[in-house]
Amino acid sequence: MVTTLSNAGYPPGTVITGKWRKSRYIVERTLGKGANGRVYLVHRAGVRQRYALKVGYDALDLQSEINVLSALKEQMHNAYLVEADDHQDSSGDVPFYVMRYIEGDPLHRFIGRRGKEWLGLVGLNLLEKLSLLHASGYVFGDLKPDNVMVSPYGKVELIDYGGVSSIGRSVKQFTEWYDRGYWNAGSRTGDISYDLFSFAVMCIQVLDEKALREASRQLPQTRSMTDLVMLVRRNPAFKPYAAWLNKALAGEFADSREALNQWRGSIRGPSAGRARSRQQDTPRWLRNAFALSLFILACTIFFLFR
Amino acid sequence: MKQILLITDGCSNVGESPVMAAAHALAEGIVVNVVGVLDYGTIGELGAFEIQEIAKAGGGLHRIVGTPQLAQTMQMMTRKTVVQTIQQAVNKEIQHILGGGSLEELPPDKRSQVVEVVDELAETSSLEVALLIDASASMKPKLAAVEEAIRDLMLSLKARAGASRLAVFHFPGRGSEEEVVLDVNWTSDLDGVRSMFGRLQMKGATPTGPALLKVIEFFQYGTLGNNQSWKGHTGQEEGMLGDYVV
Ligand SMILES: Nc1ncnc2c1ncn2[C@@H]1O[C@H](COP(=O)(O)OP(=O)(O)OP(=O)(O)O)[C@@H](O)[C@H]1O
Ligand SMILES: [Mg+2]
Repeated sequence: MVTTLSNAGYPPGTVITGKWRKSRYIVERTLGKGANGRVYLVHRAGVRQRYALKVGYDALDLQSEINVLSALKEQMHNAYLVEADDHQDSSGDVPFYVMRYIEGDPLHRFIGRRGKEWLGLVGLNLLEKLSLLHASGYVFGDLKPDNVMVSPYGKVELIDYGGVSSIGRSVKQFTEWYDRGYWNAGSRTGDISYDLFSFAVMCIQVLDEKALREASRQLPQTRSMTDLVMLVRRNPAFKPYAAWLNKALAGEFADSREALNQWRGSIRGPSAGRARSRQQDTPRWLRNAFALSLFILACTIFFLFR
Repeated sequence: MKQILLITDGCSNVGESPVMAAAHALAEGIVVNVVGVLDYGTIGELGAFEIQEIAKAGGGLHRIVGTPQLAQTMQMMTRKTVVQTIQQAVNKEIQHILGGGSLEELPPDKRSQVVEVVDELAETSSLEVALLIDASASMKPKLAAVEEAIRDLMLSLKARAGASRLAVFHFPGRGSEEEVVLDVNWTSDLDGVRSMFGRLQMKGATPTGPALLKVIEFFQYGTLGNNQSWKGHTGQEEGMLGDYVV
């Protein structure tokens, strides 16, 4: 019933052939592995186009994930799922599906490299993705930095749809820190607030991981959302986001559009504290650059007509 | 759907074989999952083997984990077992309809439909989980973590669309005739339960098999068996009712 892969996975050059649809994919390298399967970077035989291909450990678990992706495919223009099929290897039939290859870094690594001031933009892009998903009637569930891929210019893609469930159903997969239940802050029924709570914890982690770790160390029965609120209040780094975070932690956003708009307001609006002061620096820098380029232009024209 | 989740840290040493008891459970349609908890030291080859054998006989899953992973493991096992139970039932139907062939052999579109049904049923069917806790002396330092994990499991069960309830038992009881004690009767909400395990009698004996058999009885008759209940009555009352308010 359960198909297991050999521990090593497929080496580069392995050809994965679909049993039903006959597509052929060539493995370039392993992208990662998790509880449900192993993901490879592949290209279609004879074509440049690269994809990510997930080989599942269990046909039922993988099909569950595929079902969600195909439902989403009908609603979203930029489809994530390409196709699903089975492949025969030494251990028998193994199920796989092919998806868009998402380049970039997971959220925490991106922010670690590029700086915390990117959180505003990345957060905005992520909230946009989430509200699309919510509008389709789904909750992401297992929202954590690992599952948020950020491209070099802050564009965001969600990966790993194994935790997605319909709104109103129980959340299938979750991870302690980002789980509302873990903080005694509400149920594990999937609603939009569940995702927004996880989103808030991710922001806290990105801005002050140490404090989050400390808060999580106390006794389970005393853990509460108030600890998170206090932690946000203590560190000035949270200032621009504090009002938003408090609302998300308390589950007070009516829908993810409202959450998105308020986030946008808090990073760009007149009340944006730090985030805005940074933006004020930029025009000066730009003005200088502009002055420089004007100067260069003048010189060029000067020499041109000399 | 009925499940027993046995939480233990070692070998049984009294009474009927727990492997046989688990096989009885499965025959009654109750799946038995087993979690071995260890924090320091090892569970021992014998203990690990018994844990595996009980789960195999009971048609369930087994894991050996430390207390930090306990809650997550219990949640995952319960969920997986629900899905597997449904899948087995559905697989039988598939074989009926298609004349053989399991899920893996179905073409993609059919497989997709079957899994949709499995997921739907897994979420909406009613579920009863009996937690059977080994409370022998070596388990004592772990009981706080066990209680937390049970509360966490309740939270996950509550989120299901289908009716879900759980009951909590520990073993051994006080007298030598009392193999198991009911701590929390069938409930869908643990919020009113202040302390699950009252004053426990920490003894060396670990009657895993007899305790399992009693819990099977409890599933069927809603009681731990007439001949025992009057004998262990007072002790039981103290253990289960004296320490929590509903
Ligand atoms: N579309 C993709 N593009 C690029 N990399 C990907 C893609 N999908 C998955 N990966 C990589 O593969 C890893 C494992 O994938 P995924 O999270 O889907 O597996 P999983 O078994 O569901 O893991 P988990 O245990 O986190 O649930 C990811 O962490 C990521 O690094
Ligand atoms: Mg996953």
